[in-house]
Amino acid sequence: MGLANTNIENGSSTERTDGNIITTTIDKVVNWGRKNSLWPMPFGTACCAIEMMATLASKYDLSRFGSEAIRFSPRQSDLLIVSGRISIKMMPVLKRIYDQMPEPKWVISMGACASCGGVFDTYTLIQGVDQFLPVDVYIPGCPPRPEDLIDAVMQVQRQIHKGELPKGSEVAYNE
Amino acid sequence: MNEEKEEIIEETQPLVLEKLREKFSDALLADSETSDDVFVVVSKESSYTLLEYLKTDLAYSFLVDVTAVDNSQLESELMQYDYARFMVVYQLYTFEGETSRIRVKVPVSEKDLKIQSVTELWKAANWLERETYDMFGIDFEGHPDLRRILMPDDFEGHPLRKDYPLRGRGERESFNFDK
Repeated sequence: MGLANTNIENGSSTERTDGNIITTTIDKVVNWGRKNSLWPMPFGTACCAIEMMATLASKYDLSRFGSEAIRFSPRQSDLLIVSGRISIKMMPVLKRIYDQMPEPKWVISMGACASCGGVFDTYTLIQGVDQFLPVDVYIPGCPPRPEDLIDAVMQVQRQIHKGELPKGSEVAYNE
Repeated sequence: MNEEKEEIIEETQPLVLEKLREKFSDALLADSETSDDVFVVVSKESSYTLLEYLKTDLAYSFLVDVTAVDNSQLESELMQYDYARFMVVYQLYTFEGETSRIRVKVPVSEKDLKIQSVTELWKAANWLERETYDMFGIDFEGHPDLRRILMPDDFEGHPLRKDYPLRGRGERESFNFDK
């Protein structure tokens, strides 16, 4: 008998006693559930979207990480994947979609164009969506490989697991 | 058999150009042809009648493209057509008989950007002319709905003009979400 201090997951303070009782915090349980069922909202406007589709398809299979439930309604999703060029005409649309997503919500800026405009240094293209959206994870590449997107999703999962707030919420709380 | 065929091709190809030369001798500023390509440059005043003739009498039923070229930095091209800055270009195609293409170019001066719309002839001209208006500021008279098609409605300037800076005039930095 007695307490057996076993860390179920790295860095967590979850404790197990006797194999019958687990003590933890509500936040940790919620975050554990949250990180394993991210529902992405795809915002694909260019070739990055093709890589995103490949990531979701059978070969790379993002559902292994619990993120296969792609929603085309922002009201049902909590992870915005911006994959492609965003023009000044498209930006209000993207901003509106982000605003419609329920909190907490994370943003992945996928590829060079979404992150900094890429090679399109022209009058019509937003030079990085982080001017208007709180981006949590950037993916370099033109376009990035599916493995890069998987890595980004796992990075978001790591942030959630650690209990970090999404960048958007941080901004909101600080204000 | 082969000789016969060659004869027919030789007969039909220049036919369009000959007809145009005959009918629009005053209006044609230049014309040219290669084995599969015919183009004419026509003055703005006669452009509509020429295009109408091509469509109704010569069966060029397919308007492939309407666009423009800004020649403001091309002295050699400017000199030819009385320093008209823009060249509006129509690409036509016919499915009748021996299918062929023709390119009609119309010089448009910066002082008078008006040119008659061809939406009456080809419905396809609607969006193509809107795009040309958006990018070059050519004013198509008689167009049913001439407004921007690619750029936001409140955008200022015409970005495919050569004097428009590539990185814009600050519109991508000063963004207003309240509209």
